[in-house]
Order: sequence, then C-alpha cells, then structure tokens
Amino acid sequence: MRNFDINAYIRDDPKSNTFEMHRDVFRDPGLFEMEMRSIFEGGWVFVCLESQLPEPFDFHCTRIGRRPVMVTRDGEGGLHCFHNTCRHRGATLRQSECGNSQFHVCDYHGWAYDSKGQNIDIKDQEAAHYPESFKSKDHDLLPVARFAAYRDLLFASLSPDVLPLEEYLGDARVFIDLVLDQGSEGMELVPGRSRYTYDANWKFQLDNGVDAYHLTSTHRSFAKVVQRRTAGESENKQVKSPDFKSRFAMDAGMFTLENGHALLWADHPTPEDQPVYGAIDALRRKVGPVRAKWMLRQRNLTIFPNLQLADTSSLILRTFTPLAVDRTEMNLFCLAPVGEADAPRSKRIRQHEDFFNVSGLATPDDTACYENCQAGLDSGVDDWLQCFERGMMLIRDGGNPAADELKINPRNSLYSTYGVQNEVCYHAAYREWARRLSGVAK
Amino acid sequence: MSVDSDLLLGDGVDLLNRESRFLDERLWDEWLGLYCEDCQFWAPAWRNDDELTSNFQREISIFFFKSRAGLADRVWRIRSGQAPSLTPLPRTTHVISNAVLGDNSTPNSMILHSAWTCHVYSPRTRTQHVFFGRYEHELVLDGGGGRIKRKKITLMNDYVPSMIDIFCV
Repeated sequence: MRNFDINAYIRDDPKSNTFEMHRDVFRDPGLFEMEMRSIFEGGWVFVCLESQLPEPFDFHCTRIGRRPVMVTRDGEGGLHCFHNTCRHRGATLRQSECGNSQFHVCDYHGWAYDSKGQNIDIKDQEAAHYPESFKSKDHDLLPVARFAAYRDLLFASLSPDVLPLEEYLGDARVFIDLVLDQGSEGMELVPGRSRYTYDANWKFQLDNGVDAYHLTSTHRSFAKVVQRRTAGESENKQVKSPDFKSRFAMDAGMFTLENGHALLWADHPTPEDQPVYGAIDALRRKVGPVRAKWMLRQRNLTIFPNLQLADTSSLILRTFTPLAVDRTEMNLFCLAPVGEADAPRSKRIRQHEDFFNVSGLATPDDTACYENCQAGLDSGVDDWLQCFERGMMLIRDGGNPAADELKINPRNSLYSTYGVQNEVCYHAAYREWARRLSGVAK
Repeated sequence: MSVDSDLLLGDGVDLLNRESRFLDERLWDEWLGLYCEDCQFWAPAWRNDDELTSNFQREISIFFFKSRAGLADRVWRIRSGQAPSLTPLPRTTHVISNAVLGDNSTPNSMILHSAWTCHVYSPRTRTQHVFFGRYEHELVLDGGGGRIKRKKITLMNDYVPSMIDIFCV
C-alpha cells in the first residue's frame, strides 16, 4: 500500500458522467485496514439504541469496527461508552450482549469499575507494594473519544477529530425522524433479532440496503411466492407482502446526502399494507401532511458507515460490523411503535420474518449473492465494476421538488419512476469512502 | 416406564425419524404430509444470551407458521430452483435423539421432547455447519401413523452463517 492513490480505486467524474469503482475495493486486505482506521475507527459509528438500556446500571456490549465497547447507564441515568477492556490485563469486562449491574468486575484478577467507568477496586492493593508511580496512574475504564445521541440513536467515534454528530447526520436526520416519529410513545426494537454473518465485504450490505435493481432477480423466488399468494395458489394467509413489479410505475427517487448518507424512496403501490397505515390520520395531525405522506412511502436510508433504516413491508434497523475484508457480521431488528396494538404488531412481525429474517424468503439470497460476488472478485481480475451508472442521466445537482417539500439540501437528487432502479445512490457512500481513505474528511 | 408408554414413545420416535428422513432425502410432499393442515411450526428467536422470545404475536421468531400453507410456501421456493441461497441445494443430515414423553400424553395425543442436530453442507461455498437444539412435538396419533399438530424448535446456535431454512432445523 505504498504510494496510495485513491484514483487507482475510484473514477468519479460528473462532467463525463463516469462513476466506477475498481474491483480491488472489495477484496484488498490493505484497503480494509485503511477502512478500519479511517472509517470505523476514525469517525462516527452507530452503536445501539438508548432504549436498549432503559434502566439504571443497564449495559450493552457491541463493537466499533474491531474494538469491543460497552455502553453503560449510570445510577443517575447518564450514558457512557467505554472500551470493553480491563486496564489491568486487557480482558473484556463483559462478554454477554447486555445485562444490568452496578459494578463491572474483571473475572481475571478482580479489578472493579462502576457504571461511570471509575476504578473502585484494585484487588488486594494494600499488600501489593506497588511503586508510588502506580498509585498516581489513572486506572479507570477508557472512554471512547466521542459519544453522542441523536434522539434514541447512540453513536460513538474513536477519533476526537469529528464533526458534531448533528452536523455529521445533516439532512439524514429528517429521514431518521420519519422513522422515530411513527410511535406516539416512541419506537422500540421488537424483542428477538437475526444475527448472522456472510463471507464477503461489508460494502455489499452497504450498497444492497439502497439497491432496488436486484429485487426482481435476486429475490425472484420471493416475488413468485408473493404472486402465488395473491393469485390464491398459496393457502398462506398469514402474511401479505408487496409485489415488486407493481412498484415499477410508481414515483420514486433518491437523494445522496453529505458525509456518505443516502436515501432511496418510492411511492407505495398499496400503502394500506404498511404497518403504520392504521395510525396515519393521527400522525398527519402530529407531523403534518408532507411528512405523513413520506412515512407511507418506502424509504431505504443508509447512515454511513454501518446503519440502515428501511421502511418497506416492515420497518427494520440493520447494523453491520466488518470482521475481515471478506467477512461481515449483521444484526437485524424490527422496529415498532411502543404500545402498538396486537393486530398491526403481528402483521409487522410476519412481514418482517417473511422477507428480512436470515431465515426468511429473501435475505439469504442477498448474502448468497454477496458471497458469489466476493468469489468472483477474489479472482483478482484488474477491472472496474459497472454497477454505479444506472440512472446517471437523471441525476440533478442539489435538490428537486421532493427535497424542497422536506426542506433538505441533498448533494444530488433523482426523481423518476421506480422502474429506473437507480444505482447512482451508491455514489454518496463511495465519495465519503474516498474522502476518508485519502485523509481529506473529518 | 410402563409397556404402554414404551409403545407410545416408540410410535412418536418413529414419526420424528420419518420426518428427518423426508427432509434429508428431499421428500417434500411426504414431509408436508406429516403435518396437520392447522399445524403450528415455531422457532422462537433469542431475546438475549439467556432467554428466548415467548410471544410470537408480539415478538420476532426465526420461523413462525400457523398453518401447513406457510411450510408449503417454503417448499415451493426450495423446489423452484430460483433462490440463489438454495442453488445448489444444501445437503443435510438430521440426527434426533434423547426423546422423552411429555406429561399428559395419551395414545391419541402426545408431547415429545427431543434433541436434534442438523449437519448442513453447502456445495455452493464448499462449507459445512452444524445447527443444533431441541424439539417439542405435539403429535396426533389417529391410527394412520400420526401427524404433527405443533412443532417448537429451539435453535441453540442462532449465530447463522449466511442462510438457514426450514430443512436446516
């Protein structure tokens, strides 16, 4: 990786309508190291929801890139985020995903910390004959450099040199609000989740989360199951998921936002099938007609680099952690309004399981395709991928009427029909990727 | 254990063994035929490291079907040859063991608790994986060899490599 030149990996020239990424972007272990340092360990990363730690002394463990971290709630309700590693010998303090404890005591030599990360006991210190210099050392848990919330979403950065979180999220906040405003008493993660891995690069998920083009091919078996249900050839009445083809004539578009975020949207052919539909009149009064209309639209949002909120047949929160250049861990949750009635809740859940679960009819076909891509790219062919220019001639600099009604200022926008199935919304993430890897971005 | 319950257990185990054979040998119609039309097929998701979800109407399941038609949708997809994750179709071997009768089992209706493993080989990736857990079957024995009224699957290792389908549990 000597003489690193970003232009060897990305060709982004709006004047000649060119956008290409080199195949090595998905397979080069040296690039992966740079991604870990400059993206996952060098900027804002989604960690978890505040509502995953409702009580004093709750804790939640996750990873930021390769680094294990723990989020804690102290006795006064304050939230903290620490590296999950003891100052003594480095063991992780917590190995379970979540729990509740006033103290965190290392299993190895018993050093103890409170929920604010303060070291409260060095076991048998009085008999230790430590030097004076040891006693003046800081023994507390190491906090992450930055830790902040946007509403219920908690983000952390291992680098202090980042934009304020609200500025980093920018206009993406509007689309987060369209999710979090759906519940009159707030939103919650539905208990139970899908946790899975796939043997391919993390950016396959990054792109797939805003990929409309793959649906009728990758998910053709799902589409046919849906058609069989609609035609009455299947007796399965417990789930009603939308037919992809019926969407093709619908109004649709995308926004690329600053700092790598992107939004794909489409009018829903049958909005009455959306779990939120029953509450839409009340929501219209609460958020106004424009935002209520957008709540009924299908929206796929990527918050760079590791969070996706998709509101299609169900409302999902998806987060991913790169494990290696060719291995990724996924965590998938269903989001729902707090206190949702039984009927819309079970409808939401069945639609979630049907499509999004790793045990469902669609997601395993995505992971299989990512792995097939990795296998093909690992051949090492020196070439540029052709998956970034679909819809190129419809791109507009700045906003459009769809952006104006939401009062946002995207970098690029596209407004057409769903049938375009654009692949230009990926540009946002790769422009940010290039900025980070070339050391330009904060 | 009485002679009667020995016979009962034997009938139940026979049905479980037939189910695993039908799955491993891809005898999908025969497999579906083991289920009552109004069967319940449920694999709860884990809520955290220690607890399963318990309410399939308000919480996520790995699988939840409230009729055989839900299973038939899956079988249709498996047979379609159009799912990338099922092309080529993974091969499986189920092993079921440690079956015990539940309380209140009668010659007409019994609960059977058992342990299972399912070895899955993926020709696509040339990798293999073992899923494992416990079953709880509610069987209706109507003289014709019995049928499955309810099946609850506890999947112990829910950290899933890339795919899991109904024939992997």
